Amino acid sequence: MTENAPGSVDLGRGLTLPNPVGLASGTAGYGFELEQLIDINRLGALYTKGTTMDARAGNPPPRVAETGGGMLNSIGLQNPGVDSVATTYAPRWTGWSIPIIVNIAGGSVDEYVHCVSVLEPVSEVAGIELNISCPNIAQGLDFGRDPAEAARLVAAVRAVTQRCVIVKLSPNVTDIAAVARAVEDAGADAVSAVNTYIGRKIHRATGRSVLPLGTGGLSGPAIQPLALAAVAAVCAAVHIPVIGVGGIIDAASARDFLIVGACAVQVGTATFVNPETALQVLDGLRVDDY
Amino acid sequence: MTADLSRAALETGEVLVVERLGGGLLELVARLPHLAANAMPGTFAQLRCGTSTTPLLRRPFSVAWTHDDTCGFVFEAVGAGTRLLAALQPGDPLDTLGPLGNGFSVVDSGSVVCVSGGLGCAPFPLLINALRRRGVEDILVLNGARTATRLYPAERFARPAVPVVAEATDDGTRGHHGPVTELLQQALSSRPTAIYACGPNAMLGAVMGTLLESGADLPPTLEASLEAPMGCGFGTCLGCALPVLGEDRVTVWKLCCTDGPVMPMRDVDWDGLRALPGADVA
Ligand SMILES: Cc1cc2nc3c(=O)[nH]c(=O)nc-3n(C[C@H](O)[C@H](O)[C@H](O)COP(=O)(O)OP(=O)(O)OC[C@H]3O[C@@H](n4cnc5c(N)ncnc54)[C@H](O)[C@@H]3O)c2cc1C
Ligand SMILES: Cc1cc2nc3c(=O)[nH]c(=O)nc-3n(C[C@H](O)[C@H](O)[C@H](O)COP(=O)(O)O)c2cc1C
Ligand code: FES
Repeated sequence: MTENAPGSVDLGRGLTLPNPVGLASGTAGYGFELEQLIDINRLGALYTKGTTMDARAGNPPPRVAETGGGMLNSIGLQNPGVDSVATTYAPRWTGWSIPIIVNIAGGSVDEYVHCVSVLEPVSEVAGIELNISCPNIAQGLDFGRDPAEAARLVAAVRAVTQRCVIVKLSPNVTDIAAVARAVEDAGADAVSAVNTYIGRKIHRATGRSVLPLGTGGLSGPAIQPLALAAVAAVCAAVHIPVIGVGGIIDAASARDFLIVGACAVQVGTATFVNPETALQVLDGLRVDDY
Repeated sequence: MTADLSRAALETGEVLVVERLGGGLLELVARLPHLAANAMPGTFAQLRCGTSTTPLLRRPFSVAWTHDDTCGFVFEAVGAGTRLLAALQPGDPLDTLGPLGNGFSVVDSGSVVCVSGGLGCAPFPLLINALRRRGVEDILVLNGARTATRLYPAERFARPAVPVVAEATDDGTRGHHGPVTELLQQALSSRPTAIYACGPNAMLGAVMGTLLESGADLPPTLEASLEAPMGCGFGTCLGCALPVLGEDRVTVWKLCCTDGPVMPMRDVDWDGLRALPGADVA
């Protein structure tokens, strides 16, 4: 690292990221694949695949479809369930210096609370990211759409954890700032924005939707200007740290998020194209960028 | 189980040639020392097509063959990505990630049948080379395509000694007039001990159907290289799910990129695969 390398980021409640560049949820699994491909411990955080109370098999394929400058996904939160993450995966993070932030999803307040409670005694977990915005499961968006529902969820989770709670916001709302304010008031330590945008692709030969559920989540460089606008709106609305995510492909596109007020970033889809992207972003950012 | 990616690496190689084989078939040859040294038969590389954000994602291609520090890929320009690959010039960089995936289990004895449909020819030169190095000489290639010009040339399946290649075309312009599975039916009488198949998923299903209908015992080694649209190619996006029969023969999703692309044909849920809404859609 150079003298000018980006410094640490305090997200509150004892969670300090060694640097602002993380791997976005659902694009890095639980780290075990990327650990073999890149020097993952140089990064600021690993946000895990969305994890639910019970194991989920995920949606039928096709689950991904490419679009101009981006991709749609409809994975359906395939994950082994929180118990497996706590007992099987967490021990494998021992010795990793990258903070592991477990992304949690659920269909009810009780499911989220259960997951967070299971992870509370697991020392390898550095923080929690609440995914209130997954567009690919039934009920997945309800919490993200309604400020009051989002606040109710965050308050319930707040009551069972001492850990830093980051709330991942949905961009598929009319007023993202209102949801951000609501979760801040309910006790969120930080927010991350944004999750994927609802999108659809039609197979030109058949006229059918390519993804079996019709729609999926759009990510990649195509959404970067949209995400930037959303993050700017969130930054103007809250006092807690904001983590920018959406369409980052290099240091310049990451710096945009810092300029509008984010204190950290996550790299998602670009990791698929080049697993080194997050490291390149880190190396390209200088300390005076934020 | 986490996939073993210890051999995979990013490598920017140099294009040596893109050869036009006729009928739209192309063979891309590039200097890629890491990939050449590490690719196993049936493994693939994720190739970046162009340098723009459209097309964004890499595209998976079987490593067709390796020779010293070079690798060959066989493809056809079917979409945006492959059109960009087709336009590569000698000296151009080729951005690769690989090798990825689980390859074929290479037997060291017995009689082997390789069943290829269309671009399913791609992994076989590397496989045949590996089989021969293990001393397997009884190798029959069944090569099917829509029409004569789209048949991968027999002499390219292995050098210098060309294996026995039986050809089939849908339009009868060369070899057997009909699907390659009809050649397979005939070949079963010689009781092969290993069958390897590669081609569109529907063709692979037909291969399995042919085997089951024949009533003969399935050969001990029976493997197919399957396809799925891929986001990453290394097990993190969970985008490339395929239906596979798990414990108690209950269907579970497995990842084409890290659990495959080569899978034991006995384990694939062929009915499930056929029933997928977008089986032909990506
Ligand atoms: C493990 C693996 C190995 C492969 N090896 C080879 C190979 O050696 N040679 C070769 O020519 N092709 C191979 N393919 C298929 C190849 O990846 C696709 O043809 C390629 O992605 C098409 O890219 P495109 O941008 O040109 O076309 P697109 O515009 O993306 O699509 C054009 C057509 O290709 C189909 N297609 C797109 N992506 C895939 C995909 N991932 N799998 C199957 N069909 C797809 C679409 O249904 C469409 O009909 C392989 C696929 C996999 C999964
Ligand atoms: C394949 C895929 C799976 C994802 N899974 C999750 C998930 O489980 N939980 C979540 O909060 N976000 C998930 N996301 C959203 C990303 O974390 C990120 O918010 C979004 O993709 C925008 O960033 P990007 O354009 O850099 O990818 C997923 C994205 C992709 C592409
Ligand atoms: S392509 Fe991403 S998990 Fe297989």
